[in-house]
Amino acid sequence: MRSLDRMFEQSSRTLAQRTSRRSLLGALGQLLTGAALLPLLPLARGGRAEAATAQPDVNNPQSCDYWRYCAIDGFLCACCGGSTTSCPPGTVPSPITWIGTCHNPADDRHYMVSYNDCCGKTSCGHCDCNRNEREKPTYRPSRNNDLNWCLANGDDSNYHCSVSVILGVVPPGS
Amino acid sequence: MRASALMFTALVYLVAGVPVRAAPPPLQAEQLSVQKLPPPNPHWIYVFDEAFFNEIDARIHLFDGDTYQRLGQIDAGFSPGVNLSPDGATTVVATTYFSRGSRGTRTDVVEFTDNRTLRVTHEIVLPAKRAETVPSLFNVAYSADGHFVYAAYITPAASFGVLDPEHGTVLGEIDTAGCQLVIPSGPNRVSSLCESGRLLTVTLDAQGHEAGRAMSAQFFDTDHDPVFAQGIKSASGYLFVSFLGEVHEVDLSDGQPRFAAPWSLVSPAERGVWRPGGVQLGALQRALGRLYVPMHKGGEGSHKEGGSEIWVFDAGSHRRLARWPVAPLGLAPIVAVQVSQDEAPVLFAATSAADVAVLDARSGRLRHVEKHLGQTPWMMLN
Repeated sequence: MRSLDRMFEQSSRTLAQRTSRRSLLGALGQLLTGAALLPLLPLARGGRAEAATAQPDVNNPQSCDYWRYCAIDGFLCACCGGSTTSCPPGTVPSPITWIGTCHNPADDRHYMVSYNDCCGKTSCGHCDCNRNEREKPTYRPSRNNDLNWCLANGDDSNYHCSVSVILGVVPPGS
Repeated sequence: MRASALMFTALVYLVAGVPVRAAPPPLQAEQLSVQKLPPPNPHWIYVFDEAFFNEIDARIHLFDGDTYQRLGQIDAGFSPGVNLSPDGATTVVATTYFSRGSRGTRTDVVEFTDNRTLRVTHEIVLPAKRAETVPSLFNVAYSADGHFVYAAYITPAASFGVLDPEHGTVLGEIDTAGCQLVIPSGPNRVSSLCESGRLLTVTLDAQGHEAGRAMSAQFFDTDHDPVFAQGIKSASGYLFVSFLGEVHEVDLSDGQPRFAAPWSLVSPAERGVWRPGGVQLGALQRALGRLYVPMHKGGEGSHKEGGSEIWVFDAGSHRRLARWPVAPLGLAPIVAVQVSQDEAPVLFAATSAADVAVLDARSGRLRHVEKHLGQTPWMMLN
């Protein structure tokens, strides 16, 4: 979070302050029609900054728009040396976590997603992603992403980043 | 060489008829000192900065809403809970340190800072189970008489510690299974928000041990319209705001909580369209009876988005008095609000761009914007 990162963050925040995410995406989508050579723009969600492209990047694990990140609040491990399902080298996975349900537009199914934290190092600080679909307050811990889920990791309880591991398909109608 | 050069220069000036300017008197030798805080005033604000991008380094900035000066800092460690003592003389920080900075042995601790000097006076080491979550008034809190401090524990099993701040001891731990956080009332009562939408209230004896407990009736729907795990302090208790904008007023002045009929921040047409959001999503000016809430347009899942407007309500009649859009003021969305309780109140509004705005709480007139007051200022105390 220095120099270019910081500038990028601030430009994202400035852009976000005046427009809701959906309206911004819609407006940019129209703007970019026939203008494919325009550079990709920074975008922020929920006031905290992250890099994203002008159109929802639902299949890019390093984008907050990635479909399975629908209830994540933290730094994307895919930007920190890990992936959507692996913690960065030298960190320790949290054995307990919270569960979200996200819709995959590629197959039109809903999936249960486990948002484990990776622990034992200080904040990754990259790809901050704050999405909260169906997220509940902390008094419902199994549905809450505000808790530091590294909390049960003993001396490795420092928070570094979050992954999103698919647990299975949510049966239709459930 | 240097002396001869100076003499030559002086000679040139004399020959050329240029007057030699007398050298100013030398600066006096100075004494290094530590700045003393001025007397506190009602417009001081303690701005909690989570420092989310390097989260082991949270801090509290003390800021003067009259002079717009930063007065000092209290360090706050990793994902802390913070609060003020009832007399405002002490800041309590419940936090976690690792023995090697970002790694090593974990120590959970409650630290007490003298607000006249901003020095830590003493600490109480906790079991390593402190609640590490977003800031609220209920992660660590004083009893109304200052006799006890309560620290919320989440492992994720929920309980809380009862501390004796005067003697620096842990008096005990009380299990609150299914209910979280410490909502203080009176000299010896602690309520917790339950997964069932109820309030658990534990009464303590003089030694800080459990003397009784009672579960309230359900007062909100945790599935369809949960309340934020954050309260707005009122004269008799707290207001809890729900994701869809229902206001639940809880009177904690007696032994058991009393719930007023909920009222709504939004009209039927606005419901689900305009929503409260952020981290500290309301402030009540108790003498004026005005409630300030950051509101945004958004859908399900937008409850952490900051407000594009601040809505002002008459807390008695529940009538909306004003809408203050913040973009025309050059402000990013509002993630936290706090208001002073004096006769010339100021409203503080922290933005997602880490600025803190100072507004006239009566008119909404912008007085000042303090840029980048920290990294992620998510809660303010006074």
